[in-house]
Amino acid sequence: MFNISKDFAPPFKLIAPFFISGAIFYILSSLALLFFKIDFDYMQLNIAGWIHLFLLGFVMTIIFGAMAQLVPVILETGHFSVDFYYIIFPLLLIGTILMVFGFWFNPILLSFGGILVLSSMLIFATEVFLTIKKSSLKTFSTKAIKVSNIFLLIGILIGFLISLTISGFLGFDIESLIKAHIYAVVGGYIMITIMGITLILLPMFGLAHGFDEKPINKAMNIMIISIVFVIIGSFLDLKILMELGYIGSFIAVIFYLYQIYLIQKVRMRKESDIWSKSMVVAFVSLIVSAILGFFYLLSTDFRSLLYGSIWFLFIGFFAFLINGHLYKIIPFLVWFHRYSELVGKEKVPMLKDMYPKKEADFEFYFSLFGLIVAGIGLLTKEETLFKAGVSFLFIGSIFLGTSIKWMLNYGKNRS
Amino acid sequence: MAKVTKEEVYDAIRTVIDPEVGFNVVDLGLIYDVDIDDKNSVHVKMTLSTRGCPLHQMMQEWVKEAVEKIPAVKDVVVEIVWDPPWNISMASENVKKALGV
Repeated sequence: MFNISKDFAPPFKLIAPFFISGAIFYILSSLALLFFKIDFDYMQLNIAGWIHLFLLGFVMTIIFGAMAQLVPVILETGHFSVDFYYIIFPLLLIGTILMVFGFWFNPILLSFGGILVLSSMLIFATEVFLTIKKSSLKTFSTKAIKVSNIFLLIGILIGFLISLTISGFLGFDIESLIKAHIYAVVGGYIMITIMGITLILLPMFGLAHGFDEKPINKAMNIMIISIVFVIIGSFLDLKILMELGYIGSFIAVIFYLYQIYLIQKVRMRKESDIWSKSMVVAFVSLIVSAILGFFYLLSTDFRSLLYGSIWFLFIGFFAFLINGHLYKIIPFLVWFHRYSELVGKEKVPMLKDMYPKKEADFEFYFSLFGLIVAGIGLLTKEETLFKAGVSFLFIGSIFLGTSIKWMLNYGKNRS
Repeated sequence: MAKVTKEEVYDAIRTVIDPEVGFNVVDLGLIYDVDIDDKNSVHVKMTLSTRGCPLHQMMQEWVKEAVEKIPAVKDVVVEIVWDPPWNISMASENVKKALGV
């Protein structure tokens, strides 16, 4: 018998900054979109700046905070040392800001920001590996954590080489490095981490049991091979290997979506709360992203298909998946911090009462409308539509910020 | 010494609510067995709806504390088991109805 001791749960004050900072970066990245013209190219430095603002500032910061809470749950053992997260947070925060300013204003800042981000991720991955060493579990999710952290290290090292090259310290071919960097981080770290986490969280929140796990295993194995193909292909300039990698990653996404369908089919909790609505948008967006990406592969000259695919992956899948889970994770953290000791002594609130329904709905509908309108704008190259959609997205992000503030302050006067 | 009954123990455990689902752990079907010996020592065998439940140890503590509130109880052991794995058919009709099963 094992015990997930309360001591294994990281302190509220350690995790809360990750979520607060992640939400602020989400608002800033939505705001920044208002200043972009639609005729961009993904190789532009200002676009790279936005991608880092969104992926590092929002996605990775929230994932790191969530992992501080979820690693003991997934591995069924305590952190090797949860105090590492006190160092990870400021390094990641300052590193991200320097990198974004580096891309937008002065490339020399990139290498400094890169060192800080590299350090924070090295510490994060080391802590995760040392925690894995303590666990004897061999589940899908533990394997996903291991593999994703290996890709994180590979991806961030390549990213650091890119930052040194842009800053003028090294002379690598940036274009081939960028593809390897994107695939290692987005496909290898973010996607595989999401696969591992969703296999735990979706059944937990949806009360789903007794489903087949073969599709997710196939999804991860194919994804691993695909990412290795793209990385090797981009370094050796082997186009065929890279294309095999692209096709493989689509197949992996299809298996992943099939797994989600299997979980959804046996889900017992059918209520339509903010979490379940957000999950529907997230997974439909992933389907849309995969379809657009597939058509882009068939006709490589339609850049708008590629941008549409990335839009629905980033704003549709990543953002809705993360934001939807924030309405579950933050109330749990607050409840655990402020009410768990009171169970059996006095009436304690239920988690579903610990998020603001109205603000959450506003966040959801504004963001959904923004996602669709701006997505159509990107696909049709209609600047006005894109800007209109992004405006809605920005308003949605403000509601996310107010919701998070509301949730974090719930019952504050008690402690 | 008054003998503690299973009903008393189940009633005590009914005060423990899963904060995520909003039902008590007895109606959820998470309590598999209650054994009371001649000295009123109670052994509760229970499970959780998800193996990776972050409230694992706390649930165990809450159940223990709830049973300890029965005056005649001497000591309490709460054991978490995973076999058989929990499924919704173990929940009460009220829970199933509320979940739309």
